[in-house]
Amino acid sequence: MESFEPLQRFLPQVWFFILGLFLFLYVLLDGFDLGVGILSLTASSETRRSILMTSLGNVWDANETWLVLMGGSLFGAFPLAYATILNALYIPLVIMVVGLILRAVSFEFRENANNKLVWNLAFGVGSFLAALGQGFALGSVFEGIRVDEAGHFAGSPWDWLTWRTVLVALTLIQGYVLIGSAYLIVKTTGEIQKTYYRTATIATWTTLLGAVFITISTPIMSEQARSQLFSPPLFYVFAAIPLLGLLLVALLLRSLRRREENSPLVYTFLIFALSFIGLGFMIFPNIIPPSVTIYEAAASPSSLVFMLTFIGFLIPVILSYNIYNYVVFRGKIVVQETAAEEAKVPEPV
Amino acid sequence: MFLDTVTLSRLQFALTAMFHMLWPVLTTGMSIYLVVIEGLWLKTRNLDYYRHARFWSKIYVLNFGLGVASGLPMAFQFGMNWAPFSEAVGDFFGTILGFEGTMAFMLEASFLGIMLFGWERVPPVIHWISTILVAFGSNLSTFWILTANSWLQTPAGGMFVDGKFVVRDYLQAIFNPFMVNSFLHMFFATLETSLFVIGGISAWYILKRRHSEFFSRSFKVALVMALVVAPLQVFIGHLSAEQVYRYQPAKLAAMEAQWETLPAGERADWSLFALPNEREERNEWEVKIPGALGYLLEFKPRLDRPVQGLKAWDPQNRPHMIGLIYYSFRTMVAIGFFMAGLVGATLIQWLRGKLSAEALPQQKWLMWAWVFAGPLGYIAVEAGWIVRCVGRQPWIVYGQLRTAEAASPLPPGEVLFSLVGLTALYTVFFVAALYFGSRIIRKGPNLELAAPVPATQPVIVIEPARHEPDRRPAEAR
Repeated sequence: MESFEPLQRFLPQVWFFILGLFLFLYVLLDGFDLGVGILSLTASSETRRSILMTSLGNVWDANETWLVLMGGSLFGAFPLAYATILNALYIPLVIMVVGLILRAVSFEFRENANNKLVWNLAFGVGSFLAALGQGFALGSVFEGIRVDEAGHFAGSPWDWLTWRTVLVALTLIQGYVLIGSAYLIVKTTGEIQKTYYRTATIATWTTLLGAVFITISTPIMSEQARSQLFSPPLFYVFAAIPLLGLLLVALLLRSLRRREENSPLVYTFLIFALSFIGLGFMIFPNIIPPSVTIYEAAASPSSLVFMLTFIGFLIPVILSYNIYNYVVFRGKIVVQETAAEEAKVPEPV
Repeated sequence: MFLDTVTLSRLQFALTAMFHMLWPVLTTGMSIYLVVIEGLWLKTRNLDYYRHARFWSKIYVLNFGLGVASGLPMAFQFGMNWAPFSEAVGDFFGTILGFEGTMAFMLEASFLGIMLFGWERVPPVIHWISTILVAFGSNLSTFWILTANSWLQTPAGGMFVDGKFVVRDYLQAIFNPFMVNSFLHMFFATLETSLFVIGGISAWYILKRRHSEFFSRSFKVALVMALVVAPLQVFIGHLSAEQVYRYQPAKLAAMEAQWETLPAGERADWSLFALPNEREERNEWEVKIPGALGYLLEFKPRLDRPVQGLKAWDPQNRPHMIGLIYYSFRTMVAIGFFMAGLVGATLIQWLRGKLSAEALPQQKWLMWAWVFAGPLGYIAVEAGWIVRCVGRQPWIVYGQLRTAEAASPLPPGEVLFSLVGLTALYTVFFVAALYFGSRIIRKGPNLELAAPVPATQPVIVIEPARHEPDRRPAEAR
């Protein structure tokens, strides 16, 4: 491993960062998307559900596309990791893909259906399954994937299912519900908004609980994590992250109590960002924890340079037009009373 | 064993790819139609064009959702089911898929929101630009996918070292021998399929005398575009077949169910029907057109180069399911010629002045032919991909990497689990999509729709769903 040239070290690091960015944007953006989907299961009326769906109408597609970006780029930049991880996580990924399909399709079918019940349910359940599959996948990567000397998957098909991955999956779902609630606070008003202040508060506490459990159990369970954590330079990073995290959670809870509209979403974003930085430091320089490094799994330097030339240059462009999309559709969703509704008002006797 | 992992993974890939293909084939082509029709609106300010744009968008978005959904397994299963393949060719193949995601998908998905919901949020010109960007993104994704697939057919630009493909020259790999023709063939296939879907649906309205004037407009726009596309597609298809003759002789032999080698200088017949018997390596019977294959390949009855027969390869080195490849090819060709012929016949009627809005509903036969042609494009596209990919077997990367060596060593039960699950889901979705699609068509366009007015406040208006009856304009739903 020591024999890698500076360029052969630098390029995989750049790509590790880019992939981290894609994954982060995916988790953030499709996170609120999936969160709203899960919350739609609890929506008390069809009107409310329509508002939830409308809030996603123009963005769900682009949000989901970050996952495809991430998949394609992982394939190109770290073919070995793409092959081994996806092979190892077959079942959770099938769950995720089925969930995402169900969700996307119900979204369109619901628009056209008279009986919306089936598609409402499929949408909510699909969102839940997608989040669950992702949680298991994330948990398994975190836990480590058993590989042979060539870096190929050498574990069993059920390796992904342990009590720790269950914990990660449940926490991720809570995190998605939190970010979904924060998004809905921005997009709604009145009674509906109140509901989501409440779910955001609950989800903050449950996410925190899960995160604390994961943070504490990681060094206890994994020797590698222990040696990573307690070596000098990173020790300060890992000490700072939980403290900053707690501070942000406190700020988030305060903003929710004060009924602020935009800051809960900002704090939630920051909490996610912080967790991601922690996760990144934890895994680096591996890409298939615990044993295959980014240098071993990387494509050839010429491939990485070629990809970087095009994709690297495009990242700011992609971010700009994504932001433009949000700017065009900024603002709250209100229900306009229609003529049919007014006609039903009983006439004064 | 019949249900081994490789077979199951192949079945799953075939299922997911063929199901996926149904939706983007329409959205990619239709996006260009939408650019044209919206452009016509901006140019002429005729509201009917705007109403057309809104109406076809409804069919478009239904297909788009299914396309995104069914595309997800495609992005993942290379790693899940074909891990050794992914590792071996990731340097090039993965890079190209990465390009598709970043360059094409994101562009398409981001501007789709504005294209569908942004009519009153952005000025018309910005909206049109968004539609153009969606169309550009869709077709760019056709470009990258066909680049990736062509490379599997005619790998170039590097070599396999210790089972891993090392790229020497990216441009050479991207512009591999098949790439330009394959891209053009698919580009025109999506466009042609969409034009005939639009033409077919328009013809149905015209036959039913529902808004026949309105739909004669969309019919004619589709017709004008098809007049260019349909003959060109036949020509590009011909070029593609010539390339197969040159680069993939085993596939050509399978397409022609040609067991024995046809020596150079001998008359090359083209078989119209045959019943291939793979076990005995011969055709039970066949109907041949004398000299036609010679004309097809080299434009003369006797060929300069021999056409190798399937027997020239050992059974493990040549494609199987000859009947499937043979008839898929013929189906595709027949449909291509039928469409070009239909466009020609329609042009003749047009020149005779029979296509005015009043006269169109009387063109019963012609209109029914268009309705009949509506779904044919899909069949041709699927058939073409069967020829292309089943005919490539036993190779996943032609001549370099065998399909059987490229599959992940998953337990068969695991693949069976996902295959059964996806089959069940896809069946439901297919039926539901047909149902909802026909519903949109039965409901028809909204002819009272006024031009979009810029929204004064940033508010998305939605309808409380419990309202019955629904009196809103159809477009707001």
